[in-house]
This record gives sequence, C-alpha cells and structure tokens, in this order.
Amino acid sequence: MRDDDALDNNPGITRSALEAIHGQVFGWALSRCDYDRQAAEDLMQQAYVELLSGNACFDRRSSLKTFVFSVVQNLARSRYRRIASRFRLVQRYAASEVESTTDAAEPNSDNGVWSAVKALPERQRDIIELVFCRDMTIEEAAKVMGVTTGTGRVHYERAKKALRAQLGNAEETG
Amino acid sequence: MQTDDAKLAQAVRRDFPGDPQAPSFDASWAAAEARYRRSRRRYAGLAAAVIAAAAVFAVLDPGTAPDHSDSWVGDELLTSTSWTAPSDVLLPEREFDIYQDLPSLNTSTKSVDGALL
Repeated sequence: MRDDDALDNNPGITRSALEAIHGQVFGWALSRCDYDRQAAEDLMQQAYVELLSGNACFDRRSSLKTFVFSVVQNLARSRYRRIASRFRLVQRYAASEVESTTDAAEPNSDNGVWSAVKALPERQRDIIELVFCRDMTIEEAAKVMGVTTGTGRVHYERAKKALRAQLGNAEETG
Repeated sequence: MQTDDAKLAQAVRRDFPGDPQAPSFDASWAAAEARYRRSRRRYAGLAAAVIAAAAVFAVLDPGTAPDHSDSWVGDELLTSTSWTAPSDVLLPEREFDIYQDLPSLNTSTKSVDGALL
C-alpha cells in the first residue's frame, strides 16, 4: 500500500507526514545548531535531501519523528560539528567586539532551570530535552542519540541527578 | 520518586524556550528538492567526466613499455656469469673439429691372400 504523496526513494514516508512534524524537526535542528536559524534551515533541508535520495531509508521500526530526528542528529554530528564550533568561535569573538550580538532566536539564558539544563554535558542535555520537552520516551530518545536504551537510561538518571543538585544549590544560595 | 521526576520535568518544560516559528514547509521542501536535483546533476557530470577521461587515456595510451631502469638485475651480475648449453658442440663451427680427428680410410680394393692392401 503506497500513499499518493509517498517519496519515490522512501515509500514509507509521505510528504504530508513530514509536514506534520516540520515544526518539531526545525526546533530540533535549531537546538543542534546553537540556535542559529540559518544553519538550522540548512541542516533541515539537508535532512530532507537524505530522505528524498533514500540515503536515509525509513523502515518503520520507529516512529517517523524519531527517525527524522535521528537523521538530523547524525547530520549535525557529522557535518555541522566543525561549523558549529567555528560559529561559536566567531560569536565569541564578535561578542567581545560588539556587546549587542545576541541572536534573537536564542533562548533566554536567564531562565534558571533551562540554564541548568544547558549547563549539563551534551548527552545528558540532549536526553532531557528529548524526554521532557519533546515528548519522547527514553527508548526513542536513545535511538535519536544513537546509543542503546541502557546507555540512554544512564544519561537520563545522571542528568536528573545533576539537575536536582544544581537546582538545590541555586535554591540554597538564592 | 515519580513525583520528583514529574516535578522536575514540569519545571524544565515550563522554562523550555519552545520552538520559534519554523520556515514554511513548502519552501523548505522545494529548496531540498532543488538541492537534491543539483547533487544528482553534479554526480552525473562527474561520472561523465570520469568516463571521458578514461576513454581519452585509453586512446592516447601515453606509453605502456615497461620501465627497466629500476630492474633488480644489475649489469654486474649479467657480465659475471656465463652459461653454455650441452648441445653447443653440435653447432656448425665445431663440426669440422670432430671430423678432423677421424683416421683416414684405406681406399684400396686389391687383396693379397684374402686381405685388403
């Protein structure tokens, strides 16, 4: 059974299904690119190219959202890591030159709990974002991150512990 | 514990900045399709160039003679040894030497007391 708007090289994916999760995919791409909107759009388009070409083939073993998120994650890891680090360097340099260079799309870093999340190690931050903010299970989040469910659980527990500790300290000092 | 987790999740979710307005799906999809078509054309062009280069190389054939300059057999080795085949004695230049040593035969046919002279 093939839907009318199914992709030629990826019959398990329909254009309308992608459209339904487009906003969430963009949010995830944005989070992968240090909230640089242009880089996130580029990353999302590249993920769509992977789906169009069939390089990333959806086999229905997970939800479409989990699959597309993992494609974005892999692309971000392989292609955008260097770009992101350069971007951070440029931003750091620019911030020292000009004071008002904060990106409008960047989340407010004064936010207490979210600042604590951002201060976590990368994998712990990712799993907290995926599970708490993007409505995924630990299993799905682990798939997106490319780790086993057991490893995902370990990151999840450590992240919660670290968050509690940070927030507890903040309450004590505040 | 579950309550603590739920509280923590709620606190994180509350402070999560949320996703900003995404660009239109149609625009993103059209851009992705254009990028896909471009990459396919690029690969096709690259393949054609490789085939053309291979054809040119095959036609022009810039020289297939083996290069002996770095051969392991040195001149010294070639001049320091000699070898003779066992059948060299049969060559024409030695043939006469063999016949020179043969005794000359008596060609008389006259006999004395039954024996040839």
